[in-house]
Amino acid sequence: MDELELLKKDWQKQDNSYPKLSYDDIYKMILKKSSSIVKWIFIISIIEFVFWSFISVAFRDTESMKHFRELHGENILVPIAIIGFGILIYFFIAFFKNYKRISVTDSAKALMENILKTRRTVKQYVAFNIIYLIVCFIAALFIEFDKNQELNDHLSQASANGEIFKFYAIFFATVFIALVLLIGVFLLFYWLVYGILLKGLNRNYKELKKLEI
Amino acid sequence: MSKELEHSFVKLLEENQNIVHKVCRLYTNNQQAHNDLFQEITIQLWKAYPKFRGDSKFSTWMYRVGLNTAITLYRKSKRRVNTQEFDMVQFKIKSEPYDDTEEQQLKLMYQAVHQLNDIEKALVFLYLEDKDYREISETLGISEVNARVKMNRIKTKLKTILNP
Repeated sequence: MDELELLKKDWQKQDNSYPKLSYDDIYKMILKKSSSIVKWIFIISIIEFVFWSFISVAFRDTESMKHFRELHGENILVPIAIIGFGILIYFFIAFFKNYKRISVTDSAKALMENILKTRRTVKQYVAFNIIYLIVCFIAALFIEFDKNQELNDHLSQASANGEIFKFYAIFFATVFIALVLLIGVFLLFYWLVYGILLKGLNRNYKELKKLEI
Repeated sequence: MSKELEHSFVKLLEENQNIVHKVCRLYTNNQQAHNDLFQEITIQLWKAYPKFRGDSKFSTWMYRVGLNTAITLYRKSKRRVNTQEFDMVQFKIKSEPYDDTEEQQLKLMYQAVHQLNDIEKALVFLYLEDKDYREISETLGISEVNARVKMNRIKTKLKTILNP
């Protein structure tokens, strides 16, 4: 006889051997809070949205921004800010739409796909922000070099002293470190959500996908 | 949510709780983890209950929510890794007087099933519950043909685990 058939016979005989929870036990359970990954994904995603929105707002009112306004950089910075805000709205709506679609009564595969899609939206938003910040950075540099008289004076002085190489080296090292820090924050989120929360889900999703080949 | 809804849900779950216990039995290794998963499945069932239309049987619907919670939503904690021999011990399962070899073989089979991955366990679970391939394929979201193919592979895999 097939081993699995033997197991099935035994499995079906055991209906009386499971614990019996009372009405009250079960009632108490429905009052408790869920600790499912969907709940965690929701919380972490909201944190990511808030974090990146905060970053862009925080940058807006700093001294350096006032400095840019004095340099008449609005022509570049205002459109960038408007585009940034529009994209935030777009991602937020997409995130909620996907989140609403997650249903525990779907098939296992559809459920996993909807969860992954929801996460992907947030991931794209974070990636967008990294690119957005880099673009702002480059725009700021462009304005500085183009319009900041003080900087240009420094440059000509450094060049006169034969220190132009040192000047650029320090300058670009600073830019490089800032970028590394940014990408570090991105990777931290990535590791947090994908590494811890979605490891099992990704593995099971791959297993289901494999069945279709 | 209304008291009436609560009452009808708790009543239904009380009657059908074995399904949840069986899912927990397959996907956990110790009592604590069993209770945690039972708790989470109960919450997920309760959250989804207002949308339960009754166009399928409550039990059929439970299989889906229970497995989805075990495979996808439930976060296994590393703390819960435990080597305790779970089956037979935990439920103090009284077997009918099998002959020794059969009992031994069953014990090995349960251990082998525990070694399968989450998706394979889901297939085996539905198979043990006597579900047909149509229901298995709908629950997991794969085609019927693929479900059959996978089931055959699992049988081979179980054989290999049992007779290395």
